[in-house]
Amino acid sequence: MEGAAKNIRRFARRFWRGVREWCGDSAYERYLRSSVAQGDEGPRLSAQEFYVQQLNRRYSRPNRCC
Amino acid sequence: MKRLGRILIWVTLAVLGAGALGKIALERGESLNAMWFVIAAVCCYLVAFRLYSAFVAARLLALDDTRATPSERHDDGRDFCPTNKWVLFGHHFAAIAGPGPLVGPTLAAQFGYLPGTLWLIAGAAFAGCVQDFIILFCSIRRDGKSLGQMAREEVSQRGGFIAQLAVLAIMVILLGVIALVVVNALKSSPWATFTLAMTIPIALLVGMYLRFLRPGRVLEGSLIGVGLILFVVVAGQWVADSPSWARVFTLGGVSLAFAIIVYAFAASALPVWLLLAPRDYLSAFIKAGAVFALAAGILFVRPHVLMPPLTRFIDGSGPVFAGKIFPFCFITIACGAISGFHSLISSGTTPKMILRESHARFIGYGAMLLESFVGVMAMVAACAMTPGVYFAINSPPSIVGATPDAAAATISGWGFPLTAQTMAGLAHAVGELTLWNRAGGAPSLAVGMAQIFSNTIGGEHLLSIWYHFAIMFEALFILTVLDAGTRVGRFMVQELGGRVWKPFGRTGWMPGILLSSAIIVGMWGYFLYQGVVDPLGGINSLWPLFGISNQLLAAVALVVATTILLKMGRTRWIWVTLLPMAWLVIITMTASYQKIFDANPRIGFLAYANVLAAEIAAGKVPAAKLVDTQRLVFNQRLDATVTAVLALMIMVLIVEALVQWYAILSSRRAPVLHESPYVPTQWAAGYSGVAQGDD
Repeated sequence: MEGAAKNIRRFARRFWRGVREWCGDSAYERYLRSSVAQGDEGPRLSAQEFYVQQLNRRYSRPNRCC
Repeated sequence: MKRLGRILIWVTLAVLGAGALGKIALERGESLNAMWFVIAAVCCYLVAFRLYSAFVAARLLALDDTRATPSERHDDGRDFCPTNKWVLFGHHFAAIAGPGPLVGPTLAAQFGYLPGTLWLIAGAAFAGCVQDFIILFCSIRRDGKSLGQMAREEVSQRGGFIAQLAVLAIMVILLGVIALVVVNALKSSPWATFTLAMTIPIALLVGMYLRFLRPGRVLEGSLIGVGLILFVVVAGQWVADSPSWARVFTLGGVSLAFAIIVYAFAASALPVWLLLAPRDYLSAFIKAGAVFALAAGILFVRPHVLMPPLTRFIDGSGPVFAGKIFPFCFITIACGAISGFHSLISSGTTPKMILRESHARFIGYGAMLLESFVGVMAMVAACAMTPGVYFAINSPPSIVGATPDAAAATISGWGFPLTAQTMAGLAHAVGELTLWNRAGGAPSLAVGMAQIFSNTIGGEHLLSIWYHFAIMFEALFILTVLDAGTRVGRFMVQELGGRVWKPFGRTGWMPGILLSSAIIVGMWGYFLYQGVVDPLGGINSLWPLFGISNQLLAAVALVVATTILLKMGRTRWIWVTLLPMAWLVIITMTASYQKIFDANPRIGFLAYANVLAAEIAAGKVPAAKLVDTQRLVFNQRLDATVTAVLALMIMVLIVEALVQWYAILSSRRAPVLHESPYVPTQWAAGYSGVAQGDD
């Protein structure tokens, strides 16, 4: 029973994280993580700057289909 | 023993799918339960995914998980992000699923449910999914290069330029046609027009929230926005019930067309965070919700399909659009079975985010199967309504008659009983002034969806709310495609213009932004206007034009895929891409020829132009209608020219490719693949992209 509850909790956590990643909610956190992993020492973008840059890039190529 | 059990499961699924398909194909007389469609589609998809996609992955592509993907080699946390395969599946599906698989099958239902359903299932399994999967694979092996770049490198310089021009032309036609679908959905409907108009301030509000208050908190912003949108769907009823407000929001076709043109210009020129992006977030959530709700509704209600398997209109005399079942059923279904546009997504964002090569099978092949399933659900929703009602909504008055009684008599005469009272009662029940002459697929799909939803929750008295929810859902994500497409089209115009005059190519230069936005909006806006004033309903001319251009782009993608496979030495299995490519070339060339030269004025652009020109010459056109008729003549000739140019471009590309293929097969030229060099992955075998620091 406890094992099942643990599995459900883990699934719910993963699902929530998946939804956040799918809609872009965690994009900034991912960017910060990636900068750390790459050992990037340069100045990091603020959340606002990152958000605007991200959108400008995404909507300059086909990203929605017929 | 375990293996035997697995084999038994797959054999059972195959037999069940074949049985359900047989039931759909052979049932005569009694109405068919929609569950047979669901069983047939799901079983066929599972078997196709398990067997055919595995065969393509192993024999053709030899997917290699020891090879680092672009997301690993170039990980920058922005464009190149290693992404969990389920999340990327969601991304990819949200990007490829547009209005096409909803509208196409709804229009093709005029031939009956059978041909469209069979093509949706078979076309997806053997053509659409294969195209998406292989182009995704090719792009992964080339650092996420676009279809145009791959065409330039692997086929020829000219091939790349043709692909680029074809994409722009298709974009223009696509945007014009889908805008026409929105116009026909909102025409004379204050409730629907108010609801959609209100999505603009809501998107602006969400845009400012996400930019200034809580930067990037997309879930919060979207939840607020979705809540407000659901509220305005209900509030639309109060507007429709108030005579003074209803007058403000009751617009004709031409006014709506101009409103949409002005809106798209603004959305393209304004900062992307203000209107375009927040609308896209809202649209993505509502789209996902509505598609799941439709699937759940069909499973819960299990409606009976009332449309016959084949109608008399397979002979080409259909009221929704003219043309025989071959090739027009395939051209009309378009995106639900195979869409050239998907190859732009498969060679765009997705290859830069994929974690392992083997995920390309699930994402490329699997997401297209799901899109095909959306098409099957749209077919069920359209065919579950009374056929007479379906034809009444989708037929122009020039075919069925201008008054309700005359139209009802014409439709009843075709063998689909209908009374004017039925239509008046239905329009009242869904909160509309009229449902006659609403071609474009959106209103009939909304009626079908509303009937399924209201049988699930709320019953008859929620029918009007569900109808307007469905209209809002369709119009919202069509406008999203319109915004995003106009902006991308603007960049394409700037890139092409920049070759002639450098400053025009600078994407941050305001005069360039305004001029290129005006050019792209002017181009598709002209097609939209032409559709709105066309007495044959617009959809009759423009949807086939869209279908032809979309399927031609798919042929381009398959030409590129075939060339790459030949260079990889997969000659033995080349039929996997060659057969769908040949099929697409046959149907698009036949359809193009018929749309240009057919003697029937409802099919052939030139024949219609000649009929109108003869009427003008004979003095049969009243002076008040002379200018309009002359414009109609011009429009028909323009459509004929556009079709011919598209067909010609593809023929040139195919000739270029044939020269390449001959050189490779006859060993006159050593094949040169432009793949990125092999780099071994550093990720552990079990790494799935989810455990990034916080699992």
